[in-house]
Amino acid sequence: MTDNQNAAATCLDETRFDVMVIGAGIAGAESALKLGDMGYKVLLVEKEPSIGGKMILLSKVFPTLDCAACITTPKVSETARHPNITIHTLTEVETIHRNGDRHFSVQLKKKPRYVVEKDCTGCQECEAVCPVITKDQFQFNLTARKAVYIPFNIANPRIALIDIDNCMLCGACEKACPSGCIDFTQKEQQLQITAKSIIVATGFKLFDPISIERYGYGRYKNVITSMQMERELAPTRPFNNVLRPSDGKIPDKIAYVFCTGSRDHTVGNPICSQVCCMYSTKQAQLLMGALPMADISLYYINIRAFGKGYNEFYLQAKDMGANYVKGKIGKITEKENGNLILRFEDIATGKVTEREHDLVVLSVGLLANPAIVKAFKDEKLELDAINYVQQPNMLQSPAQTSIEGVFVAGTATGPMDIPDTIMSAGAAATETSSYLTRLS
Amino acid sequence: MEKKERTIDIIKQERKVSAEVLEERKIYSRNRKAIMEVLKEGPKTIPQVAAETKLSLPDTTYFMMVLFKFGDIVVESLDDMDEYYFYELKKK
Ligand code: SF4
Ligand code: SF4
Repeated sequence: MTDNQNAAATCLDETRFDVMVIGAGIAGAESALKLGDMGYKVLLVEKEPSIGGKMILLSKVFPTLDCAACITTPKVSETARHPNITIHTLTEVETIHRNGDRHFSVQLKKKPRYVVEKDCTGCQECEAVCPVITKDQFQFNLTARKAVYIPFNIANPRIALIDIDNCMLCGACEKACPSGCIDFTQKEQQLQITAKSIIVATGFKLFDPISIERYGYGRYKNVITSMQMERELAPTRPFNNVLRPSDGKIPDKIAYVFCTGSRDHTVGNPICSQVCCMYSTKQAQLLMGALPMADISLYYINIRAFGKGYNEFYLQAKDMGANYVKGKIGKITEKENGNLILRFEDIATGKVTEREHDLVVLSVGLLANPAIVKAFKDEKLELDAINYVQQPNMLQSPAQTSIEGVFVAGTATGPMDIPDTIMSAGAAATETSSYLTRLS
Repeated sequence: MEKKERTIDIIKQERKVSAEVLEERKIYSRNRKAIMEVLKEGPKTIPQVAAETKLSLPDTTYFMMVLFKFGDIVVESLDDMDEYYFYELKKK
């Protein structure tokens, strides 16, 4: 059931659930779907305006090069339409208390959309008249959006919302909306619910390379992150093609800097992010398709192509002409024309070398997203040494956490790729179901 | 549909618009106008528009891509060197 239908059915009055899933990315959606199919009543809580997490924003997935949206959208729609699943978007979990042996009491904070969900048709007339533009976070700031906006084309629910902090309060949207659904009187709501069990599927944060000063991210316009390149390659991209942000030029010498913020003690993230080698390899293949004349160089420490079909995928990129260079980039400097000089030790020759590129993509790593621990008030949700949710019984029961009745799914446990995330979410659903059976 | 009272007037009593939002809106309007004016003469690349508007290259790229997103300008063709696209005003 979408927020839209929720409002219609006054599901906000619904307060008792078998499971609350925190985070509606692909792991949360998968766990919710599995449990919903088993007949459990599930509440899916998402802080963003759309469900689908980061996967819904990707171009294609490795190693099959399937369209990410084509996989995510049906799953997301199925979740949204499922009769046993209630979804609250724009909602954060504030506190979780244990309420006897069998329940958790949860306080939720639901932010106003300033749009009556059940009446919005997604027509975007409001966007057309809004005079304000502000950075579009769903395009990783490469372009802008209006103050009233639908987050992205395949957002679910596909309903407008108003970014009140950037709104000029001109009222043009309210005047233009054909269904009269804009409502500036909406207020933040506090919701109280109970759930017998909880799945933490809060995912990961992307490493922000601004902290690695020598790479120049934030200062040099043509140094972008892999997520920005992902958007440039997606069908719903911010530009009309892959272009340099400095001057709109079609790049012809593109470099990837692997392990940006991964395997690096100096930035506090000593572990491998598991996906960067392969998503960069995927992007290299897509770039060679989009820009057949471009040279793509990938600077790496080691290639970690550990999954099914991954090594073959890496070899395929090499066969297509991707130039893999063993050597970690020491420093990037910018030339006046926006080109970038990469300085590195070429491991093959043992020499410090400099090469010029016109666009640099930083293959950023994954970081833990541990904010949810603060919500647990009576018991502590233990984290591991690098702040991912601790799995005390990793081999026998990987979804178990330090709190009975609370399970974990997907990248909340550590970096992983999409197939492993889906499997982890399935495992969390199974363990939750078995716990609920024992409880009853 | 029955006519609803406009709710914008209610929120205006509670909230103030920040100076930053107003300033950004001004910058956007000014740049949009300048770019659209230059493109009235015919299709141009981003560096050509930057040279005529005196905006920086990154700002020109950003604002032209915003105009592209919102359908004010469209891609016309690619230059001879296959480096830059020409953009033109969308025919309304
Ligand atoms: S009231 Fe706010 S959101 Fe609506 S059109 Fe004006 S600036 Fe945009
Ligand atoms: S104009 Fe109204 S109905 Fe159309 S997208 Fe905006 S809020 Fe929704």
